[in-house]
Amino acid sequence: MADLPVLSIDVSIARESFLLECRLDIHGKCTAIFGPSGAGKSTLLDLINGNLAPDRGIIKLGKEILVDTSTQAFKAPYQRQIGWVPQDALLFPHLNVIDNLLFGHRRRRDPSHSSPSPHHVIGVLGLDRLLARWPRELSGGEKQRVALGRALLSNSKLLLLDEPLASLDTKKRSEILDLLDEIKHEFNIPIVHVTHSLAEVMRLADQLVLIDQGKIKAAGSIESLMGKADTPMLSDRRDAGSLLKLNDLTLVEGCPAVGLLEGQSLFLPLQAGEWKLPARALPLRVYVPAHEVILALEPPSGLSVRNKLACRIERLIPQTSQTMLVELSIGQQRLLASVTPAASEELGLRSGLPVYALIKSLSLDVPAGRNLLWDSEHL
Amino acid sequence: MIPTDSGVEWQAIITSLSVAARSLAFTLPLAILLGWVLARKRFAGLAVLDALVHAPLVLPPVVVGYALLLTLGIQSPIGQWLDQVLGVRLVFTAEGAALAAGIVALPIMVRSIRLSLENIDPRLERAAASLGADPWDRFRSITLPLSLPGVLSAAILGFAISLGEFGAVITFAANVPGETQTLALAIYSALQIPGGEALALRLAMISLFIAMLALLAAEWLGRRAQRWHGKAST
Repeated sequence: MADLPVLSIDVSIARESFLLECRLDIHGKCTAIFGPSGAGKSTLLDLINGNLAPDRGIIKLGKEILVDTSTQAFKAPYQRQIGWVPQDALLFPHLNVIDNLLFGHRRRRDPSHSSPSPHHVIGVLGLDRLLARWPRELSGGEKQRVALGRALLSNSKLLLLDEPLASLDTKKRSEILDLLDEIKHEFNIPIVHVTHSLAEVMRLADQLVLIDQGKIKAAGSIESLMGKADTPMLSDRRDAGSLLKLNDLTLVEGCPAVGLLEGQSLFLPLQAGEWKLPARALPLRVYVPAHEVILALEPPSGLSVRNKLACRIERLIPQTSQTMLVELSIGQQRLLASVTPAASEELGLRSGLPVYALIKSLSLDVPAGRNLLWDSEHL
Repeated sequence: MIPTDSGVEWQAIITSLSVAARSLAFTLPLAILLGWVLARKRFAGLAVLDALVHAPLVLPPVVVGYALLLTLGIQSPIGQWLDQVLGVRLVFTAEGAALAAGIVALPIMVRSIRLSLENIDPRLERAAASLGADPWDRFRSITLPLSLPGVLSAAILGFAISLGEFGAVITFAANVPGETQTLALAIYSALQIPGGEALALRLAMISLFIAMLALLAAEWLGRRAQRWHGKAST
C-alpha cells in the first residue's frame, strides 16, 4: 500500500457563511471527512474534484499538482482522474446501466494505471441482471451501486464518496455499507468519504478528519481519535464511544463468536455463520458506547455480564456536570467509559489505577456502526 | 391567365420545402448555440442578446424583411461586399428567402432548445467530467442527446414557420415564381388574380396539411422529451 497516492491539501477559500481553511494530508485506504451539514465538507470536496478553485493554496494528488494558486496551475475536473459518487448517483438517464458503467472506462486516460476490469466490478457489485435496465427503472440502492461501479471503472486514482448513503433507507444503507466495505478490500483505490453519519465512519474509515465551520478540528487514525476522551466533536456526543480492533476470532458452530483483544477474550453478540465473516473482515471492528461500560475495582462474580476486561485508567475528563469520560487502556487499544462524577469519587478513580471494564455482549456494536445505523432510524 | 394545371402547386410546394430546408440548415446550429449560451452562460450582455434573439417574435415580419434589405440589400455596404467579393446575392433569391424566413423562425427554435437544456441537471455534466469527458465530449455525449427531443421539436417548428413565412420573405426576397414564391406567396398571388380562389384554396389546404403534420410531430416529440427527463415516469 506504500505506493498509494497521497492527497495533500493546503488551501483557503471564502464562502458566503464561512472561511474554509484547510491543511491536510490524506493517506490510507479510506479517509472519512466527518462533520455537520454546512461545515465545509462539500466545499472541500468541490476543491478536490475541481468544481471550485481555491482563493489561495495548493492541492496535490500524489506528485501531481491539481491546483496551485502561486503558479496559476489548474487541472480541469476531467483531467484529474478522481471518481465522484454523489448522494443521488447522477446516472445518465439516456444511457442504460452497461453504458453508464462503461462511460468512464471508454475514456480511460492513463493505460499504465491499472484499473479493475468491468467483469470484476460487475461481479462484486452484483450488477449482472441490471445491465440492460434504464436508470429510471432502478431503485435508489441499485442506482448507487451502478454509480459506484461507474466510478471504479473510470481508472480513477481516488474515489470521492459524497454522502453516498444519505438518500437511502436504513436497510439499503446497511447493504451499501457492506458493499463499500467490500470495495475497500477488493479494489486498490484510495477512498475519501464525506459523511455526517458516525455509523459510516466507524464501519469504513481508517483515517478520520473532523471538520466544523470551515476548520479542521482533528485528524488522525480512527482508533486514536475515537478512543480519546478529549477529541472535539466526538467525545462530547451523547453516543460517544470507542472502536476496538479484533485481530483474532474464534468461531465454533452454535457458540457465540469470541474475539481476542490484546490477549483477553471478548464475547461477541454473533453466532458462527450468522454474519458472513470472510477472512479479510479481520481486524474486526467493534464499537463500544461509553455509557454501556461499567467499571469495577475488583473482578466481579455472579453477574450476567460476559466481558470483564482488565484495563488501566489513563485519564479522566469531565464532560458535563453529570458525566465524566474515563479513558482506559487495554494494551495498545483505548476504551472509553462514562461515569457520573459521584461514582468516580466514590470509587476513587484516578489515572494509573487498574480497573475492570464490564461490557454486556449485547452492548457491542459489531461490525462497528451496525447498531448505530439501525438505531438512528428511530431518532 | 389563370393557371389550371397542378404545376403551380408543385412549384410552390418544392420552393417552400427548399426554402424551409435551407433556412433550417443555418438556423438549427445557430439556435443550438444560442440556446446553450442563454441556458448556461452568465455574462454582462446576456439580457441584450436575449432581447435581440427574441426581437423577430414581436416585430412585424415586414420590419424584419426591411431590416435585412437595409443591411444586406444590394445598396448596402455588406450587400455590395457579398455581391462583389463572394458573388453572393441574397435579394430576390431562394437563399435570401431562406435567410428571411429563418430569422423569423429563430426565436421559437431558441426557446424550445433553451427550455430543454434548462431541464438537464448541470451536475450530470460534472459527473461526466469526473469520468474523464472533456467539454466537447460532454456536450456531444450528455448535453446534446438529453436535449435531443427539444432540438428535434425546434427543428420541426422552425421548418413549419419557415414554410409559412410571408412578410419577411416578400419584403426581402420578393415574389419570384420558382425561386422565392413559397406556398404563402403563391396563395397571395392567386388571390390577386380574378378567379384564382380555387387555386388559393388548394394551396391553402396543402399548407394546412403540412403545418398540422409538423405541429403533431412537434407535440409528440415534446411528450417524449418530458418522459426522457423522467417527469412522466416515477
